[in-house]
Amino acid sequence: MIDLINFYIVPGLVLGSIYALGAIGITLVFSILRFAHLAHGDLATLGAFIAFAIVSGIGASPWAALPFAMIATAIVAVGIDKVFYDYLKERPKILTVMASLGMALMVRSVIQVVWGVDSESYARGIVRPENYFGIRLKDREILTVLAMVVLVVVLQLFLQKTKWGKAMRAMSDNPDLARLSGVDNRLVTIMTWSIVGGLCAAAGFFLGINSEVRSMMGWNMLLPMFAAAILGGVGRIEGAVLGGLIVGLAEELSVLILPSEYKAAMAFAILLFMLVVRPTGLLRGKVL
Amino acid sequence: MGLQTGDVLSMQDYRGGYGDADILHSVSLTVGEKEIVVIVGPNGAGKSTAMKAVFGLLKTRGGSIHFDGNDVSRWAPNKIVQSGICYVPQVENVFREMTVHENLEMGAFLRKGDLRDAFDRVYTLFPDLVAKRSALAGSLSGGQRQMVAMGRALMLDPKLLLLDEPTAGLSPRYMEQIFQITRDVRDAGVSILLVEQHAKQALAFADRGYVLAAGANRHTGTGAELLADREVAEMFLGG
Repeated sequence: MIDLINFYIVPGLVLGSIYALGAIGITLVFSILRFAHLAHGDLATLGAFIAFAIVSGIGASPWAALPFAMIATAIVAVGIDKVFYDYLKERPKILTVMASLGMALMVRSVIQVVWGVDSESYARGIVRPENYFGIRLKDREILTVLAMVVLVVVLQLFLQKTKWGKAMRAMSDNPDLARLSGVDNRLVTIMTWSIVGGLCAAAGFFLGINSEVRSMMGWNMLLPMFAAAILGGVGRIEGAVLGGLIVGLAEELSVLILPSEYKAAMAFAILLFMLVVRPTGLLRGKVL
Repeated sequence: MGLQTGDVLSMQDYRGGYGDADILHSVSLTVGEKEIVVIVGPNGAGKSTAMKAVFGLLKTRGGSIHFDGNDVSRWAPNKIVQSGICYVPQVENVFREMTVHENLEMGAFLRKGDLRDAFDRVYTLFPDLVAKRSALAGSLSGGQRQMVAMGRALMLDPKLLLLDEPTAGLSPRYMEQIFQITRDVRDAGVSILLVEQHAKQALAFADRGYVLAAGANRHTGTGAELLADREVAEMFLGG
């Protein structure tokens, strides 16, 4: 039992928390800006590398680098929207989806040009896990789950309690009526991309600190993140969290019954199953 | 023709449309203070379009729309909202995934400062909503949802309320309820311009009516006059 927890449940929850952070961003873009953002994974990679640049450049602790990476990625996300997506907003959304695929390739190429294609890591050496009544946890694993919970709570408070958070929900709910009420679409778009960029950076950073920083890390995470968003119900933050945790756990637990090469196929299986059985997701998505 | 005293809104020989083609060729109408004015007419007459013109959603190519002393015919909707005209669309007129209270809050999005008076006013006007304030707007009945939609529009304390087919798709019981609500809103000091598909009932309830056809005025009069007019009855009201 302890082995099950140590080798499968704990890594599953950590991976699930990372997927959750990415899935929240996907769900926000889909419900407010109304398109599937395929550059999401590579934006996460960018965030991870920006944090790496800060760590290797000035020798800061990775945890100190995280907020700066989030802010920098948020700025990049807003910039990408201004320079690329914004021009397509009056056109059919599939064009923006395709543009975001191109953006994914561009972002990844820039990363590979700047930082190369080798694996990097935030810290050298082996971290020994602490023992909590037989359950072995590393600090970074606890912090990953904790950071996800804190970010989700802060985001939910923002969306539920503040004027602009409500404006974002209104824009997601009924864009025409939101505009009639005087909500400025451009400001909501900028806010959405800032939040999404920050969450992307966090997802990339936590994946990096729990494994390594690689130029393909985000792209490989794209399918599980989408599976998580759809599993939970598109447009639902809590659904994205639930979906992320389930996909993360399913991937880790699949090793018990399937060869480990099939781990990555779990997300695909979940995605396919949900789209066939219940496309609105576990928590009744608002958009699909 | 200038603005007559007592008129809140005065549209004169308005011409315009969404794109390059005109939908409204020549429409003139006025709404007086605390007056309920209804626009009726056959499908495609430009009823809803005339209302959207008032709200700045059309390209103006001729004529004028005076509201509160200003020609607003070339203003953006945002500016028009702030000048005191609020618009309730026909469908999708609430935020379904937000609570009743949040819907009202969104109505006052452009307003700074204390909203307590505005909430009080709307909840006094629609006491049914008080118990439902934490319910999602999407979970309400058709009539209550219409109250939320009007309440949202009234949060900015407008002088003129535009209602686009408020009774569309509602049962006759709700229709009477909506008309009663509309009267209550008027009694609270708001002028009302509404578009109605149910011409007969609407004319019986409104102070004055305009019959539009093919983007132009056809008949004008009090509700009773129009109902008594044989041509109006035959053309638009099905005898």
